[in-house]
Amino acid sequence: MKDDLLWVEKYRPKKIAEVLGNEEAKSAFLDWLKNKRRTKKAVLLYGPPGVGKTAVVNAASNEFGFRIIEMNASDTRTEKAINKVAGPATSFVALDKFSTESKGNLLFLDEVDGIAGKEDRGGVGAIIKIVENSLVPVIMAANDPDLEKLRPLKKVCALIRFQQVRIPLIIAMLRNICQKEHVEAEFEALERIAQNSRGDVRSAINDLQSLAEANKVLTLQDTMVLSYRNKDISMDDTLRGFFSAKSLSEAATLLSRSSVDYDDLLLSVCDNLPLRYADPVALAEAFDFISQADVFRGRIGMENWHLLKYFFNSLAQAAAVSPGSYKPFQFISPPIRIITLFWTKGKRTALNGICAKMGLRCHVSRETAKNDLVPFIKMILQKQPSSPIINWFKLTPEEVDFLLKMNKF
Amino acid sequence: MATDEEALMWVEKYRPKNLNEVVDLHDIVESLKAFMRNPKTMPHLLLAGIPGTGKTTVALCIARELFGQNWKTFTLELNASDERGIDTVRDRIKDFSRYSRAAFGNVPYALVILDESDQMTGPAQTALRRIMETSSRTCRFILICNQSGKIIEPIQSRCAIFRFSKLDRKAMVEHLEWIAKKENITLAPEAAERIVEYSEGDLRHAINALQTAAVYKEGFVDEKTVLQVIGEASPKQVQVMLAKALNGDFIEARKMMYELIGAYGFSGSEIVRQMQRELLKVSYLSAEEKAELTNIIGEYDFRLTQGANSDIQLSALLAQFAKIGKLKGESN
Repeated sequence: MKDDLLWVEKYRPKKIAEVLGNEEAKSAFLDWLKNKRRTKKAVLLYGPPGVGKTAVVNAASNEFGFRIIEMNASDTRTEKAINKVAGPATSFVALDKFSTESKGNLLFLDEVDGIAGKEDRGGVGAIIKIVENSLVPVIMAANDPDLEKLRPLKKVCALIRFQQVRIPLIIAMLRNICQKEHVEAEFEALERIAQNSRGDVRSAINDLQSLAEANKVLTLQDTMVLSYRNKDISMDDTLRGFFSAKSLSEAATLLSRSSVDYDDLLLSVCDNLPLRYADPVALAEAFDFISQADVFRGRIGMENWHLLKYFFNSLAQAAAVSPGSYKPFQFISPPIRIITLFWTKGKRTALNGICAKMGLRCHVSRETAKNDLVPFIKMILQKQPSSPIINWFKLTPEEVDFLLKMNKF
Repeated sequence: MATDEEALMWVEKYRPKNLNEVVDLHDIVESLKAFMRNPKTMPHLLLAGIPGTGKTTVALCIARELFGQNWKTFTLELNASDERGIDTVRDRIKDFSRYSRAAFGNVPYALVILDESDQMTGPAQTALRRIMETSSRTCRFILICNQSGKIIEPIQSRCAIFRFSKLDRKAMVEHLEWIAKKENITLAPEAAERIVEYSEGDLRHAINALQTAAVYKEGFVDEKTVLQVIGEASPKQVQVMLAKALNGDFIEARKMMYELIGAYGFSGSEIVRQMQRELLKVSYLSAEEKAELTNIIGEYDFRLTQGANSDIQLSALLAQFAKIGKLKGESN
């Protein structure tokens, strides 16, 4: 990586005027912030991702000195949780209200369309109450403003629509970044990145950064990878791209583009990682990232999909432990786990049957029988092959035989 | 299942049949006896605590005290670890709990003993909660679990909760000595100490170890036999896996790990638990190195509870062992 900052962070707008495009929306927002919020305390910014909703809010904070209290979809937003955070933040006006340094708090509820119905019970109602009682401005952002559950919100808010940013504006901005980063790029290449982004500034900058890091001079040819990636990448291609990635951001971009199942991917990376890093120190480091990725996967569960970016981030880090050392190798496939489970099925079934019999006799589960009883009974049988406990447990001769041979694989 | 047939595993043979025989749980037993004097006053019970501390025993004692000889007729004993889905709750438990048993004998209600109930899924627990409510005139529940935190709050609030802590060392030693006497075997004092130490407050484990040791050396259990039994109780594969990893051979170590998962069906946390035990026995590591490795095991043991796939956490743990093994090899 040329530098540690992601360009989307580095070139984040500092003033509202610097936010790309959406002139109408920006002036409506400024108007609300300066005048209208005396009559309408809240505003809902809506529009597709990456068009500047969050950027406008951050820029406003920077420009006018608001302190942002933010809640996004990663926080639980039940009525109780919202009241706990938003209540104190909105119920007083900062003492230094008249100083130039701070204009006090600004409550920012990002991704309000992500308020889940069941998990965040009462969330929408609580927001309305907060808005009604708030002494500070409340800003909300959403991708899809037509959701049924947000309808009550729309009554208490001013609505401002953000649109896709026009392609020429994005091209100009990409050129600007290229100049500052000393990247040589063909105009057609930038044009293609911009078109490919479909008006999403954030993804355009990300694409530019990952392509620029892989290529000294960015040509139209280099950008072909974009559409290719967008379509579909099979497991083998994903793995190859992942393990050979030259930088963290290249790996991250590849992962976000691949359409293979996340769980399959994580397991395949886990299987193949020792072939990628022969050195135990590098391997341990990479595995630590994989382990963190798995922890994020656990937190995602079946619903917290907004955490997926952290999962990818950890996974990408595993690819960048020692980027120079990649040598092509043959991938392990199908997964080791599946092969092992296939070959050991007979043994597992036999053991389960034995454990069920023991559990019934000793008032424990199969699992407890396996861990607590089997090791001892196996030893008793080794000493006394015709022990009366065989009959007591109703074990068949095959089962006894199985227990006796357990240690020999 | 015949009741009168004599039990051959000592854990069953010497399982207390009534509350008076229960070891080292004075306070709990006294409260329960008060319920027994007037069974109508007994609420649903939640017995929580680490394994082998007498939860199941106490539940079975209550069943016997309530129903006498025919306790099995009026008791449904289920293990949620074996049948953890909502179907069991809806079918077996619901059917069993909703009809009055008054017509079949002089009993106040039927009893459901649900062991390892913290293994039940969320939906199953929610369903159970309803049943506990609607059947409270005809049925009582005894829920047994390791961690009461995994039981949903509405169920907890419907139960009297009893917490079982680690059994007292002295009481455990005395109990082992009492069994040894009944079985006509000599138990050396230091052997009893060793068993108790190794069992970490789990009486079931201690009794199993004692019985196995008694088979190993007939009639006389000494410290050496106990150590031998304890040493052989864990699968050889765990030892070999550990040695391979520490030798820097990650790929072979992981192969053994998958054998443990595949052939034995061990869970990730069980493998980690055994690795930790085996680590302490390894002779070529210093106390400091073992402490460092134990820290690492602890971290991954925790991540196992957070993560989605135990294979990944176990692989990552083995990779840490391989790294430490390699660094150690270089410094020597």
